[in-house]
Amino acid sequence: MSDQPSKMKWFRSLDGEDFRRMATALCGGLLLAVMTGPEGSITQPTYAVRESLFTAHVYGYIVFGLVIGLLLTYRAKVKNGSWRQIRSAPRRTLVDHAASIAASTRLVALGVTALLSLFAGLLFADFSGPVAANKFSWHAFAHQFVFTRTYGYLALAIALWFTAANQITLLTRVRIRSLSRITIVVGVLIAILFFSLAADPFLPPRFTVRSLNPASQSSVFHHWTTYLWLGVGLLAIYSYLRKRDRVANAKSPRRLERMAISPSMRMVGYLGAGFIAIEAPKFLSLYWQISLYQQIGVYCLLAVGLNIVVGFAGLLDLGYVAFYALGAYVTAYFSGALPLQPPFHLNPFLVIPFAIVIAMLSGVLLGLPTLRLRGDYLAIVTLGFGEIIYVLANDWVQVTGGSPGTGSVNGFDVNLLGVHYGWSAANPLSYYYLMIAVLIPVIVLFDLLNNSKVGRSWAAIREDEVAAQSLGINALKYKVMAFAMGASTAGVAGVFTAVKVGVLFPNTFVLQLSITILVLVIFGGMGSILGVLVGAVFLQWLPAYLTFHSYFGYQQSDLYLYIGALLVVMMIFRPQGLVPSRRRQREFADAESGQGSADALGPITQEMPQ
Amino acid sequence: MTGGFAGYFYLHYTIGNHPAPSNLWLSLYYIVTGVLVSGIAGTLVALIIERFAYRPLRRRNAPKLAYLISAIGASYFLLNLFGKEFGRYPEGTSQPFNDHVVTTILGAQFTMYDFVILVASVILMVALDFIVSRTKMGRAIRAVAQDAETASLMGVNVNRTIGTTFALGGFMGGAAGFFVAINQGIAYGMGFKPALLAFTAAVLGGIGNVRGAMIGGVVLGIVMFTPIYWFHQPWLEEVIAFTVLVLILLFRPTGLLGERLGRSA
Repeated sequence: MSDQPSKMKWFRSLDGEDFRRMATALCGGLLLAVMTGPEGSITQPTYAVRESLFTAHVYGYIVFGLVIGLLLTYRAKVKNGSWRQIRSAPRRTLVDHAASIAASTRLVALGVTALLSLFAGLLFADFSGPVAANKFSWHAFAHQFVFTRTYGYLALAIALWFTAANQITLLTRVRIRSLSRITIVVGVLIAILFFSLAADPFLPPRFTVRSLNPASQSSVFHHWTTYLWLGVGLLAIYSYLRKRDRVANAKSPRRLERMAISPSMRMVGYLGAGFIAIEAPKFLSLYWQISLYQQIGVYCLLAVGLNIVVGFAGLLDLGYVAFYALGAYVTAYFSGALPLQPPFHLNPFLVIPFAIVIAMLSGVLLGLPTLRLRGDYLAIVTLGFGEIIYVLANDWVQVTGGSPGTGSVNGFDVNLLGVHYGWSAANPLSYYYLMIAVLIPVIVLFDLLNNSKVGRSWAAIREDEVAAQSLGINALKYKVMAFAMGASTAGVAGVFTAVKVGVLFPNTFVLQLSITILVLVIFGGMGSILGVLVGAVFLQWLPAYLTFHSYFGYQQSDLYLYIGALLVVMMIFRPQGLVPSRRRQREFADAESGQGSADALGPITQEMPQ
Repeated sequence: MTGGFAGYFYLHYTIGNHPAPSNLWLSLYYIVTGVLVSGIAGTLVALIIERFAYRPLRRRNAPKLAYLISAIGASYFLLNLFGKEFGRYPEGTSQPFNDHVVTTILGAQFTMYDFVILVASVILMVALDFIVSRTKMGRAIRAVAQDAETASLMGVNVNRTIGTTFALGGFMGGAAGFFVAINQGIAYGMGFKPALLAFTAAVLGGIGNVRGAMIGGVVLGIVMFTPIYWFHQPWLEEVIAFTVLVLILLFRPTGLLGERLGRSA
């Protein structure tokens, strides 16, 4: 009897706030059930809700809501001290865990990671190979070893493992005897050779050992990718050797600990990413080869451009699609596809500068009057501008062709110095490589820009505009600059879309697209180019994948429902995004504790101009 | 949009497919109750949005960018939820009164609908103006708009006042949705353009100035529709509204009547 109250204590500590939290979580579960339920209609308004709430599948969502509610309650209770935490050990990061495991059982851990990376390499080789009926049969698996490509992947895996092991030893200060330079150089050269073998596996003969014969027409030495990868590999060796020297000179152990991502690891990362970006699409099916350009590549470009506005400058642009449409229609104009005929026809490559200039000019014209006042007006003004461009494309038939669409847009082609090449829809990968060739310089450029004086000015304006201005930074100039740069990137993306789809319809450029691009930026992490790319690739891949694998009752028409919900959820729980930029994350935290701001939406001047 | 849908269902279940009532008092009853039902539905939705999309951010003192993004996300979510639950096709609404031409002034036809909406909006706007400028609640709203921190020191419950503001805005939006619904029918995207135009009208009149916003609405309406009358291109409407918005921002950012309240979002 006497210890009854102490057993009931946890229950007594619940209060109204906890019940409110539970109820919210439960309602959230039910809302999810409704969101994923069937479509309703106006004639039977309760049908959809009834079908989604009073059938069996709703229990899963209720349980989901309950679990989330309990977790939230637990977290809040532990935080305010009325409950004790179940686990008493301090929280450790994944790196800590990895380090302690490696330190305790060094050889075993290294061996296990080596085996894992070997297995990963083989798996990659297997899945990238020719389509076999049963990928998991031993026969098909063993068959992979006939192809040199397999050895290329293995070499890549070993290189990855080597850097990972290096990291572990660096972090735990476990010394493994360093390999001599000669061993590394020879090893990497051999790896590169296999790498090159793996590089261009369009035709089956190139997979085999025969292709090492320089006399053969299908030999690897006849393909430029071999030399590309050789060059890249040599650069990697150079940077690795330089880094080794630097690490050897770094005496302070603290310095070593802080190098969580060493230059060599970063180099291997870039190398791996580049290799995968260039080689992997060749093994994809036609559907994904097309959507790599159309759904993912173009959206990466758009997201990287919007990232300048939202992430770097801290402004909000809700009519981003307008500049995208401008770029596309400028391309159509110079192809003679619009009712309004151009003075001269242009190759789409030559239209790109025009698209940049026109999108940039409209960005400046729009941004200058708006940003002079308050940053938050920009959101509404751009929203209006997006709507106007759509209306013009849809209804101004004399100029844009209206809703039936434009005529056909010229394709890309090159006729220069004896080289004649035309991009055609028959080869979707050619478009993909073109997109890569544009995307990578753009990313490098924007990254450099963010680390330059301009980027620092953006950061200063975001964090404290008044202080930035008192230091002589022209806030208006940098804001308009960011806005116009974002706009011109969208214009370039518009050119690429116009050329690929061939015929433009105004419905492609609805305002909802701006929201979609905004989600790509917010989800990945505004201000972080890597995050934005991750967000764009993931969020563009997922709907395309779910379209023909309908999990969780996903329906194509509900896409914007989820996108809207995702925006709110991200803002409430993780405004900095999944892969946040470190600076932006700190800004959000600072702004919430009352220091500075995380956006440039405040008034530039205290007095309004009269 | 919510108001429009609420009005639709209200009229659908009361009038249904019957012909519009010809009795004046019955029509008036339907209009008044319809406005109330739609307004209350709008209020509820506004409060829900405030509770789930804004208050968590305000509690954390989040930057303004987060509010804007959360707001646009919430509006898209609601829009598409309505589209999903009630179908994505526009639908006509039962009529609470017979829409006929009442009188002709200078060649322009005034229909019953024009007359009803004119009277109703004057009543609603006078009521709103009274609430904001004369009541204790209105004083609290203005105080929070000027300086939330000082207002809270003076004993104003900031959270509740912001909730009230949302409720008021929601009620007005819902009532407007009702009138759009009886005239043009309903669709899940029906609220988007009016919201854009409403912002333009507010900037035209001067942000934070209730009377200015009313005058701004009237002026914007005249400016928008006159060129359409000349050129017979109905899509010009939005282009003109937008041009007006940019021109105001360029030349008279304080609006026609000037800003009254302190600037804080």
